Amino acid sequence: MNPVFLAELRHVLGAGAVLQDPLELITYECDALPHLRSVPAAVVLPSSAAEVQAIVRLCAREKVPFVARGHGTGLSGGALPVSGCVVIALSRLNRILSVDIPNQRVTVEPGVTNLEITRQVAPFGYYYAPDPSSQQVCSIGGNVAENSGGAHCLKYGFTTHHVLAVEAVLPNGEMAHIGGSLVDTPGPDLVGLIVGSEGTLAIVTSITVRVLRRPETVQTLLAAFDTIDAGGLAVSDIIGSGIIPAAVEMMDALAIQAAEAAVHPGFPKSDTILIVELDGPAAEVTALFDVVQGICRRSGATTIEVAQNDEQRARIWKGRKAAFAAMGRVSPNYYVQDGVVPRTQLPQVLNRIRQLEARSGLRIGNVFHAGDGNLHPLICYDERVAGEADKAVEVAAEILSYCIEAGGSLTGEHGIGADKSAYMPQMFTPDDLALMQRVRAAFDPQRLCNPGKIFPAPRLCGEVPGPYRQHPVEEAGLAERL
Amino acid sequence: MLIRGAGTKMDWGRTPAAIDVILSTRRMNRLLAHQHGDLTATAEAGATLAGMNRTLAEHRQWLPLDPPFADRATIGGILATNDSGPLRHRFGTPRDLVIGVELVTTDGALAKAGGRVVKNVAGYDLSKLVAGSFGSLAAIVSATFKLAPLPAASKTLVIEASDFDALGRIVGAMMASQLEPLAFEIHVPDVVGAELGPPSRAGQRRPLRSSLQLRFASVAAACDAQIAQACALAPLTDCATETLQGDEEREAWETHARRIWDAPGALVRASWLPATVSAAMSELRRMAGSACIQLAGRAAIGAGLIRIDADVRAQAAVVEQLRQSALFGNVVVVRGSPDLKALVDVWGPQGDRDQVFASVKRALDPDGVLNAGRGPL
Repeated sequence: MNPVFLAELRHVLGAGAVLQDPLELITYECDALPHLRSVPAAVVLPSSAAEVQAIVRLCAREKVPFVARGHGTGLSGGALPVSGCVVIALSRLNRILSVDIPNQRVTVEPGVTNLEITRQVAPFGYYYAPDPSSQQVCSIGGNVAENSGGAHCLKYGFTTHHVLAVEAVLPNGEMAHIGGSLVDTPGPDLVGLIVGSEGTLAIVTSITVRVLRRPETVQTLLAAFDTIDAGGLAVSDIIGSGIIPAAVEMMDALAIQAAEAAVHPGFPKSDTILIVELDGPAAEVTALFDVVQGICRRSGATTIEVAQNDEQRARIWKGRKAAFAAMGRVSPNYYVQDGVVPRTQLPQVLNRIRQLEARSGLRIGNVFHAGDGNLHPLICYDERVAGEADKAVEVAAEILSYCIEAGGSLTGEHGIGADKSAYMPQMFTPDDLALMQRVRAAFDPQRLCNPGKIFPAPRLCGEVPGPYRQHPVEEAGLAERL
Repeated sequence: MLIRGAGTKMDWGRTPAAIDVILSTRRMNRLLAHQHGDLTATAEAGATLAGMNRTLAEHRQWLPLDPPFADRATIGGILATNDSGPLRHRFGTPRDLVIGVELVTTDGALAKAGGRVVKNVAGYDLSKLVAGSFGSLAAIVSATFKLAPLPAASKTLVIEASDFDALGRIVGAMMASQLEPLAFEIHVPDVVGAELGPPSRAGQRRPLRSSLQLRFASVAAACDAQIAQACALAPLTDCATETLQGDEEREAWETHARRIWDAPGALVRASWLPATVSAAMSELRRMAGSACIQLAGRAAIGAGLIRIDADVRAQAAVVEQLRQSALFGNVVVVRGSPDLKALVDVWGPQGDRDQVFASVKRALDPDGVLNAGRGPL
C-alpha cells in the first residue's frame, strides 16, 4: 500500500487509529461468515463523521477500495475485505446523538448496538422494533446496510420501515443528508434505496430511527405438533382468519433437540413446535389469542403452553433464538442457510428439503419465521469426513434453488453479500442486474465502495459458488481476487 | 414524455416546457395476481386502487392505502407519487407496502427488483427509488404489494379541541398512550385566521374549532375498549367528543378526505414534528395574514396538506414563510396556478441530496426525457 497514502491516513486519524500490524489485521479478515476470509491492507478506526469523510476522500483520490464494517456479525460476508482494501471500522462512532421521546425519534451513530437504542428509550415505555437475533451485539449501521429484520418483522416490518434519516458519506467523499426527522422529503425515497444496499452505495455516519410505544399486552404460546404439516396448517389458518401475529416461529425435531441440549428451554418432545406471539391492545389480544388457541387445537396440537409471565416468555424465546448456535451440540459443523418462499409454499418446500436430507445423508434442522416464509435450514456436516463440507454447500445451494422455483428469494434477512452473489442470476435477469448496476454506478462510478458484494463477479474458470476456497491460480500467485 | 394513469395529478409538479408524448397506462389495468394465502397482490400500473381493493375484499383483504382521489387513482400513479392518506398512521406510505416492481427504462429495458415475498433483501430495492420519483426515472409496469386483512369492526372518535394548546395536549397524550388507532387525523378549519383569534362577542357565530379524528379498527370489543380508554385520557375529559360508526363514520371520513380538495386555493404539502403541533399551528395562523388557511393531516406523523386561499402573491408569501419556518419542512406545492408556480418553486430546496438525485437521473434517464421537467428531478 502506498506509504504516502498511509501517512495521510495517520495524519487525519492519528497513528493509533490506523492498523497495519498483520496480527491486528487478521481480526478483520472476515465477519460472522468465517469461511470467507481476506486480510485487508489496512484498517482505520475513525471517531467522527468528518474523519470518515476524510478517509473516503483519500480512498477516492487514490482509487483504493474501502469496506465499511460495524461489529462484524453479518452472515453473508457483507463486510468481507477485498484485496488491497481499507476496512473502515465504525465501532468508535458509538454515540447516542439525541433521544426525543415526545416525537418518538432517536438519532445515533452507526456503531451503536441495536439493543442499546431500546435501552435508551425503555425507561419511557418505548422500544426499537427490528430485533435480529444478534441484537445485543450487532450495530445499527450494519442493520441499515442489511435491512435487518427479526422474529417480529411479520407485524412490524424491517429496518427500512423504521429509519427516517441517514447522514451518509458518498463514495466520492461528499456528505449527503438523506430523509429527515420531518417526513416526506420530496423526491425518490433514497433512504429506502440505501437501507439494504449492503454498504455499496454510501457509508452512513448517523441514523435517525422511529421508536415505538410498548404494546399494552403481549401473549405468547408454544404449541407442539406431530407433523410439520399440522403446524403449517395452523399457521395458514391463523393468517387466513385475519390475524397478523407479532411473531410466528417454527422449529423441527432436530432444532428442538439442539436447543434443548444447549439452553434447556423445556420444549415438549415433538416433531414440530410453533411459537405464536400476539401483542397490542388488551381487548384485541385477549379475543384473538382465544382464536389462535382454537386453531392450534383443531390443527392437531398435542400440547399448548401459554406463557403466564415475562419469565416464561423469555424462556420460550431463549430456546428459539439460541437455535442456530445450539446446532453445535448435535453436529460438529453446520451451515446456516437463509431463503424465502411464499408462505403457502412452505409445506411443499419443506417436503423437498426432507427428500434432499434423505438423499444427501446430511441431517438438516429447520428453524423458520413461518409467518413470512423465511427458512433457516441448518445443514449438519462433519468437516473431518472427506467431502462432507462440499456436500453441505451443494445441499445449501439446492435449497436456494427450491426457494427460487417456489417464487421466493435468495435471502430474507442475511443479505447477498459475498456469499450469494453468484446465485443472483437465478433470481434476476441480466437486465434486472444491469439496472441495479446503473444505480450503483450513479453513486460509485469508481466501484470502490464495498466491491465484490451483491453482484455476480466474472469468476475464475472452474470456480464453484459457496464457501471460499483459494483457486489454484490464486494459490500459485498467478491471479488475485479483486 | 409524461406517464399518465387516471390523470388525477396532471396539474402537479412544475409547469412542463413541452410535452411530445403522453404514455397512458389505461389499458394496463389488470390485477395480475392475488395470493390471498400469502397476503400479497400484483397489479399493473394502470389498475385503480379502488378496483383492486374490490377484488381483494372477496378474501377480506385490502391494500391499505387511501390517497386523495382513491376512487380513480391508479397503482402506478400512487406509487410514483408515494401518495397516502389517513391510513398512513398504521400502514405507512406506498413505499412501506410495495415489495416488488417491474420497470421500463428509457433504453427500452424491462427490469424488475424485489419480488413476490414480503421478506426479501436480495439486490437493490428499486421499488423505493421509484416511490416519490413522479415518473422521472422509469415507467412502472407493475407492482407487488403486501396486503392486510380487513378489520372486523371499526369506530371513530371525533374530538373538538378548544384551542391549539388543547390540540397539542391531546396529540401528546394519544402518542404517549398504548392506544393503537388505525388513523389519527387533525383538521384545522379554514377560518383559522379570522375566527380562532380573540374570543367572540355575543351574537357572533361560534368559531369553528380544530378537531381530531381517531379511527379504531379491530374486533368490536377492542374498538369500544380503546374509545373508552381514549376518552378517559386527561386532556380529553373536558372536550366535546362524538363516537361514530356505520354510515355516519364512513361519511365523516369521506368528508375529511374531500373537504380540503373541494375548497378553492393552493394546496401545499408540509411536515412538522408531531409534538410541536401546537406551536406549528399557532405559527401557521400568524403566517395566514388575511389568507384563509386550512390544514388536514396525520397528527402523530406530522404531515399534511395546507390550503391557502388568497390572491397569488399572498399564497406565495405563505409558501415562502412556511419554507423559512423552523417548525415546518418539506413544503411542496401540490395544487397551484401557473402564476403561483412562476413565483415559487414547486419542490423547494433539495439540500445536499441534489447531487444524488442528479447522478441517479443521469444514470437512468440521461436525455432527460421522462416527466418533461416537472420534477422533482
